[in-house]
Amino acid sequence: MILDVTDFSDGHVLQSDVCIVGAGAAGIAMALELIDSGIDVLLLESGGLGAEPDAQALYQGTVQNEQLHSPPDRYRQRRFGGTTTIWGGRCMPFDPIDFEARDYVPHSGWPFGIEELSPFYPKANRLVEAGAFAYTAEEAFDRPSRPMIAGWSPAHYTSNTLERFSCPTDFGTRYGHKLRAASNIRVVLHANVTGLHLNAAGTHLDSLSVRSLKGRSLSVRASRYVLAAGGLENARLLLANRDVHAQGIGNPHDVLGRYYMCHIAGTVGALKIDRPLDDVWHGYDMTDDGIYVRRRLALRPEVQRASGIGNFIVRLHHPRITDPAHRNAILSLLFLAKLIIPYEYGKRLHGGESADLQTWFRHMGNVASGPLDAAAFAWHMFTQRALAARKFPSIIIKSKANLFSLDFHSEQQPNPQSRVSLTGDRDALGMPRLKVDWRYTSGDVDTVSRAIALLSGDINETKVGRLDYDASQLEMEMTRYGAYGGHHLGTARMGTDPRSSVVNARCRVHGIDNLFLAGAATFPTSSQANPTLTLIALALRLANDLKEGRA
Amino acid sequence: MGAAGFIGRRVVAALSASDWAAAVAASRRTGGAADAVVVDATDEASLGAAFSGIDGIVNCVAGDGDTIRRNADAVFGAASRLNQPPRIVHLGSMAAYGSAVGRVDETAPLLGDLDEYSKAKAAADVRALAYPAAVILRPGIVYGPQSPWWSDRIARLLMAHRLGDLGARGDGYCNLVHVDDVARSVLLALRTPAAGQAFNVAMPSPPTWNEYFQRYARALRAVPLRRISARRLAVELRIVAPACKLLEIGARLAGARSAALPPPIRPWLLKLCAHEIILDVAKAQTVLGMQWMPLDAGLQSAADWFRGGGRT
Ligand SMILES: Cc1cc2nc3c(=O)[nH]c(=O)nc-3n(C[C@H](O)[C@H](O)[C@H](O)COP(=O)(O)OP(=O)(O)OC[C@H]3O[C@@H](n4cnc5c(N)ncnc54)[C@H](O)[C@@H]3O)c2cc1C
Repeated sequence: MILDVTDFSDGHVLQSDVCIVGAGAAGIAMALELIDSGIDVLLLESGGLGAEPDAQALYQGTVQNEQLHSPPDRYRQRRFGGTTTIWGGRCMPFDPIDFEARDYVPHSGWPFGIEELSPFYPKANRLVEAGAFAYTAEEAFDRPSRPMIAGWSPAHYTSNTLERFSCPTDFGTRYGHKLRAASNIRVVLHANVTGLHLNAAGTHLDSLSVRSLKGRSLSVRASRYVLAAGGLENARLLLANRDVHAQGIGNPHDVLGRYYMCHIAGTVGALKIDRPLDDVWHGYDMTDDGIYVRRRLALRPEVQRASGIGNFIVRLHHPRITDPAHRNAILSLLFLAKLIIPYEYGKRLHGGESADLQTWFRHMGNVASGPLDAAAFAWHMFTQRALAARKFPSIIIKSKANLFSLDFHSEQQPNPQSRVSLTGDRDALGMPRLKVDWRYTSGDVDTVSRAIALLSGDINETKVGRLDYDASQLEMEMTRYGAYGGHHLGTARMGTDPRSSVVNARCRVHGIDNLFLAGAATFPTSSQANPTLTLIALALRLANDLKEGRA
Repeated sequence: MGAAGFIGRRVVAALSASDWAAAVAASRRTGGAADAVVVDATDEASLGAAFSGIDGIVNCVAGDGDTIRRNADAVFGAASRLNQPPRIVHLGSMAAYGSAVGRVDETAPLLGDLDEYSKAKAAADVRALAYPAAVILRPGIVYGPQSPWWSDRIARLLMAHRLGDLGARGDGYCNLVHVDDVARSVLLALRTPAAGQAFNVAMPSPPTWNEYFQRYARALRAVPLRRISARRLAVELRIVAPACKLLEIGARLAGARSAALPPPIRPWLLKLCAHEIILDVAKAQTVLGMQWMPLDAGLQSAADWFRGGGRT
């Protein structure tokens, strides 16, 4: 059932077997998995059913360098459904290599291999509504699907792996009815967890303090607790509770909040493909189950090993929108639509740069030169994205000149200097605010520049076309928009050694026998992949541990 | 009884194929077969005459709420008057359980609170249970070749991409059972000593309605499956369904067959798609010895029939 803090009197003590904090992707996935398990579950959510500015304001904080990271109240949502209320829905699993300890990636290695997550990926894929767990063109289609570039096989890259797309599914609206109907699940809205109270020995979590912005206080007593408040907030909650452990819970060795990773992404170069237009396909296909999928170029694992660089993928992309030199009516239309595109999506489209009047006029000129193209595109986006329940995932523009840019998404290495910490400032509930100091390393620059150079070599070697890019500008391009938004990883990393990790291989906080973390904070490394599918698989694994008494 | 209907025809065929029964097909109209009788299934007197000399009765009569009630009264009334009340296998429906959710076995109360049909089905079951030699079968969603709704209309809606993945609205369970499995359960019920008992008849781990649409669409090659938005469903209910109704009335006045018209999506169908009920069929398996046709094979048989031009 779904309740509100106001359904309880001030000071009420809620009891349950399992208490989950945060109803986002991870928290809701776990609660769904526990339906009819016989376990009594309490799911505490800070926000309400819709967006509420005062709840969202609890996420405010500061950033060390505004060029490198967006403010902490952006790219996450404090409401029922969490950040899935605005996510993009791009899904793919981690690759086997991501779990390996690689000597060329400092601090790499998960305490297990991909086989630990394999049993849970298909179900995670169903929950995000991305259809069958089939991530190569061969598995996803029982007919041949269009190659990216016909007959092209680059030495260092594959082009048969797919991204699959969620609707994008908002977990709150999609699964709220299931939680409402479940007799063993109680969701409590407007319930902000503020205090985590350990026993005197600091080995067991006794209770939680819950507060609402309207001033109601409750407490919770459960046998087992799961923090699923998101990749930044999980760390904040643990750091902020210092009454028993002076450095925060799970932090005797100053690991908590460190190793903060996002992804490194950017758009570079001009790729001209010397093949017939029909031989090149960089758009979406649809599987029989109705899912949008798209090919990308993925750096082969053996090449990563041989070159000593991180995981990396790249997609064929349209030229940069902001520069009207592309003379493309559709891209200019998108530029002009700037004002109606949400911040989180506008950033990479428009670059946050302010354009002069002349630029605006040149974009208008572009639109005027191809009004039919622009109108057809607008209609397509209106019917297939704005109105559709399964949305056309992104902007695809077929270049009549076979001209593309490269849109890359790269692993970011774990780095203890990249971190979040608390400031002296407090939010409306008295919780210390977060400061984000995101940093990248020379290893990250190296991954991007070597991977692009390898691709350039492949293109030359196979004479498929020409890639022009300015190698000296790569570092600027990969940080032009700062850290990739919305992927908050590594702040409470998983490992076997408490001196270098916060949770163990089963996501339990070292040294605390009944406190678990769900979400991407536990990822020791970042992969090339977007995180949500994997964090849901990990959450389902944890839910099964709870169900089967392993946790 | 109801031998000309979708389920009745299969039961007659299965009985005729057996080496222990001679089927007498009773229906409103006779198909002209030698062993067929014409009866009014809601008229006790008419039935009394037809029942004489019969060892077992299978009641597959379908209709609206009123017909269902009157049929039950007539059948069980007429049979009770016979010297030796014969075994009656009565085709009930999961609709008798009404709005019940979760795993539902035969001991669940007959809420019958969904609509007139569900109420009448529950009432008919109560009537049947008062008869000493009745076995009640409560099938779920009976599909297979010639199923008017679950194989024909759904197929047409899927082909037109008017139905598909309904999201949260298709999370209900679709308790499918192939019509041949229903016919087999009838034969088993005639011969198993189980008087006074009811049996759920449906596949054991049913798919959700979304999954059923997806698998049937695949069998029909009506892919890719489309995601149907809430907005679109609202248009179906408020605009398309009334328009279909008008067309249907027009066609009837013009003397044309309304089955050729585009089928409407009705509110009851959407309610069903969201209904999270699972029929527990353990009893049919252990007591009757039922086994079930695999879903993909069953859906393929329905798709082949539909694609072969089958219409109801
Ligand atoms: C614009 C954008 C696009 C994205 N696109 C993609 C994509 O294409 N692919 C992908 O894989 N990922 C994407 N993501 C990331 C994805 O949204 C997150 O990975 C995912 O939502 C994280 O799930 P979570 O459950 O850990 O956190 P969240 O979904 O953020 O949920 C955390 C929940 O905890 C609640 N909470 C927080 N603090 C408290 C507290 N103290 N007490 C109680 N409750 C609390 C919050 O209100 C929230 O409901 C995107 C993100 C953004 C912003």
